[in-house]
Amino acid sequence: MEEKLQQAESLQDNQDEKLGEGVGFERIRRITGYLVGTMDKWNDAKRAEERDRVKHALGAQ
Amino acid sequence: MIRSIIKRDGRRVLYDQNKIASAVLRAMEAAREGDAEAAARVANAVEGEIEAMFPAQSPNIEAIQDCVEHQLMNFGYNATAKAYILYRANRTYARDANTTLMRTINEITQADAIASDLKRDNANIDGNTAMGSMLQIGSAGAKAYNEMYLLRPEHAKAFREGDIYIHDFDFYHMTTTCTQIDILSLFHGGFSTGHGYLREPQSIQSYAALAAIAIQSNQNDQHGGQSIPNFDYAMAEGVAKTYHKAFYRALTDVIEDQLDLDDASDAVKEALTGAERTAGELAKLENKPGFDGALALALHNAFGLETDKAQSLLRRTRSRAWKRTDHETFQAMEGFVHNLNTMHSRAGAQTPFSSINYGTDITPEGRMAMRNVLLALDAGLGHGETCIFPIHIFKVKEGVNYNPGDPNYDLFRLSCKVSARRLFPNFTFLDSPYNLQYYVPGRPETEVATMGCRTRVIGNVYDPTRQISYSRGNLSFTSINLPRIALESHHDEAAFFKRLDEMLELTAQQLLDRYEIQAQKHVYNFPFLMGQGVWLDSDKLHVADEIREVLKHGTLSIGFIGLAETLTALYGHHHGESAEMQEKGLAIIRHMREYCDRKSQAMKMNFTLLATPAEGLSGKFIRQDQQRYGKIPGITDREYYTNSFHIPVWYPIQAFEKIRLEAPYHALCNAGHISYVELDGDTARNVEAFEQVVRWMHDCQIGYGSINHPVDRDPVCGYVGVIGDVCPRCGRREGHRVPESRIEELKKLYPDVVAFRGIE
Repeated sequence: MEEKLQQAESLQDNQDEKLGEGVGFERIRRITGYLVGTMDKWNDAKRAEERDRVKHALGAQ
Repeated sequence: MIRSIIKRDGRRVLYDQNKIASAVLRAMEAAREGDAEAAARVANAVEGEIEAMFPAQSPNIEAIQDCVEHQLMNFGYNATAKAYILYRANRTYARDANTTLMRTINEITQADAIASDLKRDNANIDGNTAMGSMLQIGSAGAKAYNEMYLLRPEHAKAFREGDIYIHDFDFYHMTTTCTQIDILSLFHGGFSTGHGYLREPQSIQSYAALAAIAIQSNQNDQHGGQSIPNFDYAMAEGVAKTYHKAFYRALTDVIEDQLDLDDASDAVKEALTGAERTAGELAKLENKPGFDGALALALHNAFGLETDKAQSLLRRTRSRAWKRTDHETFQAMEGFVHNLNTMHSRAGAQTPFSSINYGTDITPEGRMAMRNVLLALDAGLGHGETCIFPIHIFKVKEGVNYNPGDPNYDLFRLSCKVSARRLFPNFTFLDSPYNLQYYVPGRPETEVATMGCRTRVIGNVYDPTRQISYSRGNLSFTSINLPRIALESHHDEAAFFKRLDEMLELTAQQLLDRYEIQAQKHVYNFPFLMGQGVWLDSDKLHVADEIREVLKHGTLSIGFIGLAETLTALYGHHHGESAEMQEKGLAIIRHMREYCDRKSQAMKMNFTLLATPAEGLSGKFIRQDQQRYGKIPGITDREYYTNSFHIPVWYPIQAFEKIRLEAPYHALCNAGHISYVELDGDTARNVEAFEQVVRWMHDCQIGYGSINHPVDRDPVCGYVGVIGDVCPRCGRREGHRVPESRIEELKKLYPDVVAFRGIE
């Protein structure tokens, strides 16, 4: 929250010209069936698991 | 002569022989030997021994206790010595636990969640907030108490050392896990939340609002997630009520306009009611043939309208009523989704874990509700954010929605399209034989529904006439550390199965111990769950009754983690790598399932096998095993054990092959299962390819599955999709700025560009 307030303050300084300083991208991922909005709330093991995931190609049935 | 002794905290206090005598006496009483006189003799001997050992200085408390043990054995009070040693060990453990508890609370209080894994244990709780910290401190205190006072020593040891993991341990003595809430029964006649009585809802908005309230009320009575098994069937009633009102209102409007009347409402009502009485049904989205004819006649009689004219007014009425109802349904569904994403009502720190199941209601009303809830999910939250809650679960069924020509095939297609963008719905497959065996057409309670996390409750050993998903749930679950059993068996298959059997027995006993605590609760402990009849048969209980019997409709589940690492430890590779290992893997899981089935029959209770979700667990077990065995390649060399029976996330395998290999485990894990495939963003957004994967899941007899793909969003320009380093829409890098003029340009091109103000 504090971080967001700082972002907001820094934005107000130059809102007329530029937007988005300090604003990250949201990355939604699924763990244990549930979605999680930002990965900074994940525990270390699950972060590592997400990092290691490889994509599955479709290939033949 | 001893004058003073040194306590554990270093303080020096006056020596008092009576204290030794009374401690000895207490141990003698516990062991049923000796008396006060004997205790005094032992205390005397202890004093003599200490004086000899510490001629010049003050003895410390540990040394005195050593002498007590020694002298008790010296005198032949062996049982007393044993009691004294056990007491001493317990006190030491309790002191350590207290210190640990205080240290834990200190970490919760002082550390930022970024730095503390402890505070990120559950991703749904913000450990940085006041209520979040309160929740975590309460949880830490409850865990310490439960371990010290409620667990048998052998269960406490197995839990502490990482042989098993008792889920939701902080709630051990409080409640049960979850319920599939039959909101239709709940709504009929109205219900009480415990803080006020709510009348039966009369419009789709109220149905949706009360559905959210039902989830919110029930989640405060339980520790797990909450699910609605019949969202389509329930919302259909609300749609019907809204349509009926809209129809009457539209009809009144068109009549008044046509005839230039100020107020025709009473006459219209009379005509409508008459036609409805004749037809034997209310005006609804699709009435039986003849309904509109009868109504046209009634309008002719009431207003002198030509029948042709009346028919044309009715067509306009239907069109307006449909539009209004559809619009209100969308708003209701949007409100429901927004509600579930924003209410931090779970102990003030969590949004409830919520899930909704739908897909099989083929009435026009049910279909309207489903289409709109999917559209609301697709639209996202206020700025287009992907909804985290509820989990949507689409029930796939041949003859209902699976094949072209099925009445809800269009909704299945829409589900694929929305899931390809928003990660939900997930899909559950009613045609898989282990689900189909319960399915009775026309009785939606026999359709398998799932908790979003995967918990599945349908079979019922306790009451075989009630093999339904409604009004039931899991009581508790405990997971077994399978890789450890494999590691301790040193490639010896027979030793592995022997150890596995011991662990299954220990786990089942622990689940029964926990059930015994739960069973002694009363209806008044669960004002909503039991008091409002949400749980099966609780409506037959009185407020002061024990819930022992009705709880038996629930499940006691034994879970597991790390089949892949288990196979690697036993045989050198895992089930993704060879058909032989697949057979070995299935043999292990089948063995566990057979144990659960035998236990169920023996106890007449529902013991089920769970493919554990393992959010926090994946890291806990492996850290403990790394300390014991070090980092063994392919087994303990990562930061997590592989989820349940999954092929490891890091192992390269094609999507169809992964699904084919995991499917047979779904049939075995009757407490719940899920399979994922990971698609890249482009493939996932190809709806044909997406649907092909879902169809393959169905054909392989998967029970519950979903497709993962990256869903990123740039909050500045509102782009939703895959974002690498640079946002493909506005071109900014993460954390960097973009000129406002560029955003203004984009606003003209894309309707979902947000009016960004910095705080969301």
